[in-house]
Amino acid sequence: MLPVVVVHGGADHIPKERSEKSTLGVCSAARAGYTILQGGGSSMDAVVEAVTFLENNPSFNAGCGSVLNIKGEVEMDAIVMDGKTLGSGAVSAVRNIANPIQLARLVMDKTSHACLTAEGANRFARSMSVPEVPLESLITEYSRMRWTKNLAADANPVECQIGKMGTVGAVAVDVEGNVACATSTGGILNKMEGRVGDTPCIGSGGYADNQVGAVSTTGHGEAIMKVTLARLILFHVEQGQSVEAASDLGLAFMKSRVHGLGGVVTVDPQGRWAARFSSLQMSWAAAQKDTLHYGLYTGEHSTQSIEKPV
Amino acid sequence: MTMAEGFSNGIKPEDQERNLKMSAVVVVHGGAWAIPDDLAEASVDGVKVAAREGFSVLNTGGSALDAVEAAVRALEDNTVFNAGHGAVLNAAGEVELDAFIMDGRTLATGAVSSVKNIANPVSLARAVMEKTSHIMLTSRGANLFAESIGTATVPTDTLVTEYERKEWEKHTNYVSGVMEDFNSQWKVSAVAHDTVGAVAVDSAGNVACATSTGGIRNKMVGRVGDSPIIGSGGYADNLSGAVSCTGHGESILKVTLARLILSHIEQGKSVADSSQLSLQYMGDRVCGAGGAIVVSPSGQWAATFTSERMAWAAVDRDVLWYGLDPKERLKEPLSQ
Repeated sequence: MLPVVVVHGGADHIPKERSEKSTLGVCSAARAGYTILQGGGSSMDAVVEAVTFLENNPSFNAGCGSVLNIKGEVEMDAIVMDGKTLGSGAVSAVRNIANPIQLARLVMDKTSHACLTAEGANRFARSMSVPEVPLESLITEYSRMRWTKNLAADANPVECQIGKMGTVGAVAVDVEGNVACATSTGGILNKMEGRVGDTPCIGSGGYADNQVGAVSTTGHGEAIMKVTLARLILFHVEQGQSVEAASDLGLAFMKSRVHGLGGVVTVDPQGRWAARFSSLQMSWAAAQKDTLHYGLYTGEHSTQSIEKPV
Repeated sequence: MTMAEGFSNGIKPEDQERNLKMSAVVVVHGGAWAIPDDLAEASVDGVKVAAREGFSVLNTGGSALDAVEAAVRALEDNTVFNAGHGAVLNAAGEVELDAFIMDGRTLATGAVSSVKNIANPVSLARAVMEKTSHIMLTSRGANLFAESIGTATVPTDTLVTEYERKEWEKHTNYVSGVMEDFNSQWKVSAVAHDTVGAVAVDSAGNVACATSTGGIRNKMVGRVGDSPIIGSGGYADNLSGAVSCTGHGESILKVTLARLILSHIEQGKSVADSSQLSLQYMGDRVCGAGGAIVVSPSGQWAATFTSERMAWAAVDRDVLWYGLDPKERLKEPLSQ
């Protein structure tokens, strides 16, 4: 069994001028996660590390670079799940912290709960001495520009969401065969205050079970929730489908039943993995053995040596 | 290993097909926990009233969605249950409410978490579903939305009972509270109330579910349990059925209990077997106890629990069924 980490940077239509940053970003994140696995670290450490990289990267819609809600503020959602214990930690609508994925992990490790929301999540962050960061440090020129455009009375609701570079996430299996998932997002552009999407909802934004595998999802949040996409894909794996076929079945069902598009990264305890999407593009990268795999467009699967810096 | 106690209407699939008229059914629960004797009668009365409410909606041609909302509103308004009026208090002595509703026909869903000072969170959840392009709103955002649609705000005091204030003051240790209420066998301690919910199938064969709760006494501020999380606290799909769950929220989340039960139904198992298998799995894998009510599009239903007690009631073809203790299955004519 070969440990692997698979990372995504959002399923969406990514404008050409932003696609290079997206690819570089997911490759760096995959490398960072894989370094942990190579050192004998756990799949949970690996996915949290990979997602932390993406949250810190202003090109992605998570942590710094998150899209703005209708009021021009940042509210973030995140989840981690441990395939060994089925333990999970999630935060929804949390503000003013740099790394929601780490706070989600603290919820799992330091409380008897699975999810904290809004002011309660921030209160917990303070109790854990997680530094509070100013709103401005999370907002990029790009996210502010998109928010302003969407406020216009004649804003096109479909165009509104294009190119926001979606949710980020990762799945991994470590040398002991433990699987884990992590997903983080700023949500959708100009969302209502307090809107919670699929990301922090177990079974939707992600799911991990050592007996089956792990999934992290991205795409149209409300559609992902309606079909509990992560859990659905793992039901297919349980019934004998490959990670790739299971992912495709889940995405196809979401498209036909509720007309939603998205993407997923999936891994099983044997180290088999897939990065699949029904949207136009999804930036993704996977690190296994000595190879870095990555792609953006449908059918694209590029490789390079892990050692070579991108 | 705990055996799940479950009751279903035991209709064979071949008999179902012979029914020319789709049978409308509603099932409600008032929580799976060690319900103390001094609350037992009121709990059973409460679920019976709610089941009748839900059924009167179905009987006058209302949808499954209308029926589950009506049943859960009745339970929220009843202070004996931990939802709306009668909700438990969090660690800061405040009330934070979660609710969920789902339409099996379209998979449309509405949910609120950590909303304050609203008497009927299930109706607010429905408004999220019908009046926004979102599924879930939390906390202040949920309250702002409530305000924007003219939902009345009620003072916290009207939601909290004397009983709850006293219990909250007594039990500051949340962890031990959880062990006593949900997961222990044969202990008569009574510290926390629990979630309410309903499932229904209407005469058109549409299914729906709804769940509502105040959470767990002394929960951390902002704690969200299973109730408003799609696939955990509930799920509804015309292709398989509708489920509403109750019990130890964190355990229900770990196994996405509602969606798990329906996955067994999708594999061809009965509503009773699906519920029992799933609850036993939750007990074995994560040491969690709870209960679930299920209805299938063809009118099969079940009420199953691994906790000490679960207050439940169902109306199915002019008969009102109800129970509290394991193996208990009582009935009376609906017209009574």
